[in-house]
Amino acid sequence: MFTTTIFQYEWRQLWRDRWIIAVLGLFLLLTAYAVFNGTEKVATRTAAIAKAKDELARAEAKQKSDIDSVAAGLKAVKETWRDPRLLSMVGSRLGRVAAMEPQPFAFVSTGQSDLFAHYTRPVLYGEASALGFSELSNPVQLLFGSFDLAFVCIYLLPLLVLAFSYNILSAERESGTLRLTLAQPVSVFRWLLAKLSVRFLLLAAIVVFSVVLSFLVFGFPVHQHVSTLLLLLGFVLAYMLFWFLVALLVNLLGQSSGSNAVALVSIWIALVLIVPAVISQMANTLYPVPSRIHLLHQYRLAEAEAEKNANQILKDYYRAHPELAPKDSTQANSYQFWLEYFASVDVLKAAVQPVIDRHDQALRAQQQWVEQLRFASPSILLQTSLNQLAGTAPANYTAFREQVIRFADRWRGYFMPRMFANERMQSADFDQLPAFVYEPPHVRTFATDALALIVFCAAVLGLGLWQYQKRAAALLTS
Amino acid sequence: MIKKELKELVREGRFRWAIAVLVALLMVSLFVSKRYYAFVNNQHAEARQNARQEWVSQEKKNPHSAAHYGTYAFKPKYPLSLLDQGVDKYSGVSIFLEAHRRNEAQYMAAQDQTALARFGDLTPDFILIFIIPLFIIFIGFNAFSRERESGTLRLLLSQGAGAWKVLLAKWVALLVPVVSFLALVLLLSGWLLSSTIDFGEFQWSALIGLIGIYLVYYLVFINVTLFVSAFTKRSNTSLVALLGVWMVACLAMPKVASSMADKWYPYPTQLEFEEQIARDKKAGLNGHEPWGEASKKLEQETLAQYNVTRVEDLPFNWNGFLMQKGEEHEAEIYFTHYQLLKETFENQSRVYRATAALSPYLPTRFLSMGVCRTDYHAHWDFANAAERYRLELVGKLNGDLMNNSKTGDWAYQADATLWQAIPEFQYQPLSYSAIINIQKSNLLTLAIWVLISFFALRAAVHQLKP
Repeated sequence: MFTTTIFQYEWRQLWRDRWIIAVLGLFLLLTAYAVFNGTEKVATRTAAIAKAKDELARAEAKQKSDIDSVAAGLKAVKETWRDPRLLSMVGSRLGRVAAMEPQPFAFVSTGQSDLFAHYTRPVLYGEASALGFSELSNPVQLLFGSFDLAFVCIYLLPLLVLAFSYNILSAERESGTLRLTLAQPVSVFRWLLAKLSVRFLLLAAIVVFSVVLSFLVFGFPVHQHVSTLLLLLGFVLAYMLFWFLVALLVNLLGQSSGSNAVALVSIWIALVLIVPAVISQMANTLYPVPSRIHLLHQYRLAEAEAEKNANQILKDYYRAHPELAPKDSTQANSYQFWLEYFASVDVLKAAVQPVIDRHDQALRAQQQWVEQLRFASPSILLQTSLNQLAGTAPANYTAFREQVIRFADRWRGYFMPRMFANERMQSADFDQLPAFVYEPPHVRTFATDALALIVFCAAVLGLGLWQYQKRAAALLTS
Repeated sequence: MIKKELKELVREGRFRWAIAVLVALLMVSLFVSKRYYAFVNNQHAEARQNARQEWVSQEKKNPHSAAHYGTYAFKPKYPLSLLDQGVDKYSGVSIFLEAHRRNEAQYMAAQDQTALARFGDLTPDFILIFIIPLFIIFIGFNAFSRERESGTLRLLLSQGAGAWKVLLAKWVALLVPVVSFLALVLLLSGWLLSSTIDFGEFQWSALIGLIGIYLVYYLVFINVTLFVSAFTKRSNTSLVALLGVWMVACLAMPKVASSMADKWYPYPTQLEFEEQIARDKKAGLNGHEPWGEASKKLEQETLAQYNVTRVEDLPFNWNGFLMQKGEEHEAEIYFTHYQLLKETFENQSRVYRATAALSPYLPTRFLSMGVCRTDYHAHWDFANAAERYRLELVGKLNGDLMNNSKTGDWAYQADATLWQAIPEFQYQPLSYSAIINIQKSNLLTLAIWVLISFFALRAAVHQLKP
């Protein structure tokens, strides 16, 4: 009963304060700018993919019409190696655009998206595992990072919370109103919780309002993604709650407002800046990433070894794949160069695969180890979750890479048997070409991460209660 | 009076804690950076050795095939990167050098790290550029407001100490711990750098210059802190305002600047860039296509020049000559496109320089990376040097094919003597005078920042007068 009164009283107090309007305005501005930035980035990404696909479609249409006119005898083929019906030409020039389309929430967090290319075109020649997945960019930009919603929530939101609640108890004591409150029949702890709840609800409303409004303004179809949006807001609000509870704990230590502010900002620096930096640096030093340059060296050694035996390779290959051997040995295959290449690819792959596998395994082990460290700070937890919501987490890019490598095999798998059979491309065949569709990996860590955030909150609340019981008397008298 | 200020500072628990944490962080970060540096350098030495070994132990082959086989250029790490890693994590470390193609540097460390790495690493530059300004704010935010709240400010001023003297005392009291910390950084890193044998070329003057840049940066923060403290009535307001300043200057502005640079002067995507180059290449001379239009034209011209009718009668191997001409033509295309890319980069740099007027963090960040040779300019310089070496390498190989074999002699093979005759890639980093030249606008901006902050401080004096 009394709690409701405190609620109403606090509510009126805060409302009269112009603070609220300032916080609302500031947060709305930050959110809107972050969402604007994110949307622009995603739009650029989508446009680049669309352009690449468009160019491919045009090249494909041209190839089709060339094939048709040659087939109909309307156009002569000047040199055999320029025949548009050659499978090798289609396979090496019209490689599909293997694109990683942005997920609906990609604009929320840049994540790793500024480090990697979002589309590539595997062709017949070359190893997909060696394809460059890096994007051309100014490294200064990568160093500074992007102004996205994740940044606003992880770094700035806690500071707003702290500015809002650092003196929740100390100000009352300093102005003398605490005595009046204590005269009421209510426990200080419950009274503080009520005060904090009002602030939490108010800021939560501001966050939800700003986020939803910004999403709507920049044309995000909110109604189609309600559940993901709720998940996003749930994580952000849980993170915010954590910071409110930290403020409660610090207030219960019974220091002055100034000391509280300094203590809270120190905690912020520790959890948001220093802990992630220390962990990241420790991970680099204690568990260094296996060297790619070393991998490359071993790859080249294997390659050179395989090349020495190049002549023998195709013969051995036919022995291993009798189904591919020419049925009519009098007719020359027009793809002789390619057949030798395909045969060598298999040998090469067999030689280097163990090296690549070993490297990938070491890399995965290192990354898994580092991923466990996200439990060290709520801000790392929030970052992980937002990246996964946005589809810009490292797991997404690993999945994309693996899918492209598999797709490159499928692409080669379509052409290889037909080239061994010395066939030609028909324009109808284009519909049968393998297509690439990116499948985002299944995320399993939302539940654990949410639970971890809740554990953080509970731990801080528990500490607060313990402090309160220890110091209840001191709090009242000081 | 200064003594009194310092004594008060040392007595405060908050100050002692902060100093302890700072020194501990500095020690850890230096230790960890040094380990990382040694690790990277070992890797680098091994990679270099392997690449050279691969190159000289090639079997007999056509020299142009060797040009296709290619080799690698590895970016060296310089001693001062111990203090500032700059963009090293985000720029590749090795460039594959082969015929017909200029490749981008590969293997940026950040790509193999988890998203955790995006929070930043605990390196000395992280402490110097982010944490020390916060430390200054922490010990200085209540310099005047505390005295005002307790009424001692009035007392001090009425005792005959001029506002100037009070201000100066506070200023020195803030400066002393900062300078002491910088001196510690200087001594520790100088000792680490000069005591380790394989730390390459290390110059004390560069290290001192770097420390000087940070000192100027801290002067700005000291002045701003005292200014805000003089103008606010309550310590809490002062703290909140100063944290706001720090947040905007060190956290938000760099991100806003990079977002603007990217929006106004976007880089092409990797594939777009490659396709543009491929389009230009297709239109021109290709050493592997003697039947091409451009090749035919060159053939006619060359035949006319040597007054012969068949390429077989030329005094050199026509195919080698054509390969080299094709390479030169492609090199020009790459040059043009990289020049365009560089223009985009220069435009982006202009945006960064312009936004530096809004935050002292930005010029300091760029200057620090520049002096440590870990900035983007250093990377460009390395990439250009690698490209020059690539052209030299391919030119020598094509020249061997051209001069030591006859046209149509595809069986010609060069051996290890040729591979060994080609020198290893050597890279001379940008000189300090070149670095200063590149960074002069950042130097100027930082100088203006410190000047303005001193003017602001002068205004604060008037505020103090009762």
